Amino acid sequence: MILLLLTVALNAPPQGTPLSGPALEQRTYEVASLLRCPVCQGMSVADSPSTVALDMKQQVRELLARGYTQEQILAYFEQSYGQFVLLKPRNRLIWILPILILVAGAIVVVTTAKKLSQPSTTDDRQPTTDAYISRVRELVDK
Amino acid sequence: MNRTVLVVGVAITLALFAILFVGLGRDPAAIRSPLVGKPAPPFALKAVGTGQTIDLASLRGKPAIINFWATWCVPCYQEHPVLVENARMLPGVQFVGVVFNDTEDKINAFLRERGSSYPTLLDEQGKTAIAYGVGGVPETYFLNRDGVIVAKFAGPMSTEILQSNLAKAMQ
Amino acid sequence: MTAALGRFLILASVFVSAAGSIVAFAAGKKHSPEGLMFARRFAYAFAALMVVATGVMEYALLRHDFSVGYVAHVGSREVPTWVTIVSLWSSLEGSILFWGLVLGLYIAGATWLTRNQYVDYMPFAIGTWLACATFFSYLIAAPANPFLTVPAQPDGPGPNPLLQNHLLMIIHPPFLYLGYVGMTIPFGLACAALMRGRLGHAFLRPLRASLLLPWIFLTIAIMLGGWWAYEVLGWGGYWAWDPVENASLLPWLTATAALHSAIVMERRGVLKGWTVTLVQGSFLLTILGTFMTRSGVFNSVHSFTQSSIGPTILVFLTATLLFSVVLLALRINTLEAEGKLESPVSREGMFLVNNLLFVLLTFTVLIGTVFPLAVEAFKGRQMSVGRPYFDSMVVPVGTALLFLIGVGPALPWGRVTRKQAIRSLLMPLASGTVVALIGYIAGARNPWTILTLLFGGYAAWVTVVEMSRGGTRVLRRGRRRFGGYVVHAGAVIVLVSIAVSSTMRTSTEVRLTRGQAAKIGPYTVTFLAAEERTEPHRQSTVARFAVTSNGKPVTTLEPRMNFYPTMREPIGTPDVHSTITRDLYLSIMNIDPNSQTVSVMMLITPMVSWIWIAVFLMGVGGLIALIPARSVVILSEAKDLRMPSSLATGDPSLRSG
Repeated sequence: MILLLLTVALNAPPQGTPLSGPALEQRTYEVASLLRCPVCQGMSVADSPSTVALDMKQQVRELLARGYTQEQILAYFEQSYGQFVLLKPRNRLIWILPILILVAGAIVVVTTAKKLSQPSTTDDRQPTTDAYISRVRELVDK
Repeated sequence: MNRTVLVVGVAITLALFAILFVGLGRDPAAIRSPLVGKPAPPFALKAVGTGQTIDLASLRGKPAIINFWATWCVPCYQEHPVLVENARMLPGVQFVGVVFNDTEDKINAFLRERGSSYPTLLDEQGKTAIAYGVGGVPETYFLNRDGVIVAKFAGPMSTEILQSNLAKAMQ
Repeated sequence: MTAALGRFLILASVFVSAAGSIVAFAAGKKHSPEGLMFARRFAYAFAALMVVATGVMEYALLRHDFSVGYVAHVGSREVPTWVTIVSLWSSLEGSILFWGLVLGLYIAGATWLTRNQYVDYMPFAIGTWLACATFFSYLIAAPANPFLTVPAQPDGPGPNPLLQNHLLMIIHPPFLYLGYVGMTIPFGLACAALMRGRLGHAFLRPLRASLLLPWIFLTIAIMLGGWWAYEVLGWGGYWAWDPVENASLLPWLTATAALHSAIVMERRGVLKGWTVTLVQGSFLLTILGTFMTRSGVFNSVHSFTQSSIGPTILVFLTATLLFSVVLLALRINTLEAEGKLESPVSREGMFLVNNLLFVLLTFTVLIGTVFPLAVEAFKGRQMSVGRPYFDSMVVPVGTALLFLIGVGPALPWGRVTRKQAIRSLLMPLASGTVVALIGYIAGARNPWTILTLLFGGYAAWVTVVEMSRGGTRVLRRGRRRFGGYVVHAGAVIVLVSIAVSSTMRTSTEVRLTRGQAAKIGPYTVTFLAAEERTEPHRQSTVARFAVTSNGKPVTTLEPRMNFYPTMREPIGTPDVHSTITRDLYLSIMNIDPNSQTVSVMMLITPMVSWIWIAVFLMGVGGLIALIPARSVVILSEAKDLRMPSSLATGDPSLRSG
């Protein structure tokens, strides 16, 4: 009876292949690692010893054994707990921002490296090629 | 004056300040339920003591309070008398208790000792609790007569809290 | 009486630091040596007041004077003496007082060490330091006052029991404070350079030293935090990207970047403004960090409940941010580049890439931590950003950094020809390939792990070659370089160990009844008994396990489930058997003493102890680099140079200034 109700709640038949044995355990751990334990501070369902987390892990195991896919399982928990329960954010902006920063930063680094390699144009000291004087200048600078 | 530094710096400062300032006003542990405003998830569970099966559909027609608790939950002890008392005072409201991850013996012992005025259902593996998005215990859901969840309260309730949330279900 | 004395001392420190700050800035503006002398006295006075105030608090704690607010909050006659001493930093108000103490000691130390030098910079530096000191004194005096007088009570509740049960929890906070608070000193020096409008070559020495010392403490502190989480929290990992963990990491990232760009600044005279920005950023991130920990805004294991301290810190953070931004905007262009890079493809160029990666990491961790807050503030939706996000972002960048640790020092300084570059880069490849092969044979299959092993082996070769340049003389002269490479060696081991320990662990969850055994890896674990133990502050159920390997007894492990009266859920404590190659970790999921059954998670994590040891090695490397070279007179470093006749021509550029 409860299984029937679960299927109704999931609104769809399983879309993947049923799992069992060590593969099932492995996948349970993986999917449970993507779910946030609702009571603990930031721990995943896979790691948490709290009662609700253990129940959720068991539920994940059962759903995987019946062939539900990761997406279906995550959607099911999202229905009851909200987006809060997903440890991997769905929001696209947060995934793109670091890449944007990397690209912007790389441009800055390349332009800076090029700029710093040009000979300097303002230098109020008499330029010198004498290695000794250059060195002393460096040391005398305070 | 280096314009770039000024603009970038002030932008970051203002953004950070805005985010943190708003953050100060809220409690990070208060998780809002996505089910509020939606029909309550169906269930069919056995009542302890009578063995009768009670399902969600049977609660339709009257406002209902579904209270999730367990015998291993210390704050639930405080809350229990409030629920028992209010259930007696308000015959027009259906009270249902759901216990998960617990045994019938412990629940029966608890109820014998502390009284009971409404059915207590056993959710053996917590499947109903998960369907309702229960994180910890005690958590209470308030349904209106059409079976829509109008409010959820996490933590032990006082009579005032219970009645103010119930008012939303009565509308 | 004691409480009143404490309040007086704190109030005095507010005034002393405020007055000293004003005197210092005035002295700087007017180039007044007397003003500087007075400012230094104010600095020492602030430090003295903090020391005495802390002494008063410890006295009150040890005498169980429950009329003092903080003692009533955390004191107890029942706990051992060392717990009483340590409870100074166990709760919010006391920890802010501790912050003030550490700040006072740092300011006094820095003032004393620069007492006869850098007279053009120091007034501004002391002014900045004392301004920060004013804020923290105000915090202690107003929202977080530990010296309030309360009605006397016979005994107190004692500090939080979670904080008493492990040595690591005792030493982690002091190391963290020594790291965090220490960032104030280089911040003051950086602001001084900006206010003065120049950053001379000699000033680099105090700037780098004052950045390196807190960096060492912070490095160790972060490791201690991870180690504590591993030993105590029960999920078998050491880093969860919890907001408070991230708070400790952020300033470390920018400080490490600053230490590297300072090397380029010293060699080539460029990147001054950038280094100064990073140093300011490191300090600002510590203020953000303390806000994140204490304001109650973030969902974290470490969270304190919300109090009025949050808004106060936010005001200080915003004010210092604005101050730093404006100061930078006005003065950054005055920090002239005095040199240039020979070529972008050189070791200097690699330093730029290093900085890019560290700054990218900083932004990524910051965005990940703050994003849920932003979304909730502006869209009302609650979302989570957890380990899957951070791991996906940080692992590639970390691997790239490991690549740089190898490739960077392999490239020569300055101008590099194509042939030179290829030759330097190719040789260590042999070492990298060997290490990767060993890993593959040992079972590594995760592509990131194999890549990490390849880069790690490569970097190890390069680092060892660089360390052995110069033979044994290097410990007497050239410590900075040598120390730096020791740090790199440690970092390589840390990164490789993290990769191996996270991807090559074995775990299994079993349900055992009394007498039953289970196998994991080379170990056989037998469940002996479930016992209940009652302690004054908690009730525990302990599961005893006998561990054998090849029939020979190895150890007994006793993981526990603890029930605290104030917590909704029980808290498990794991038990770990650590060896140099691997750890065996047992953590209880479920235990029933009546039926004598236990559901236990067993983990074998390879190489995890190497992480703690290698981070410690990084700290040692930092210490080696910190020991100052002898140079009482500026030109003593030039004593190897022979003076040519051109000096007699009176080159005007040799005037000091």
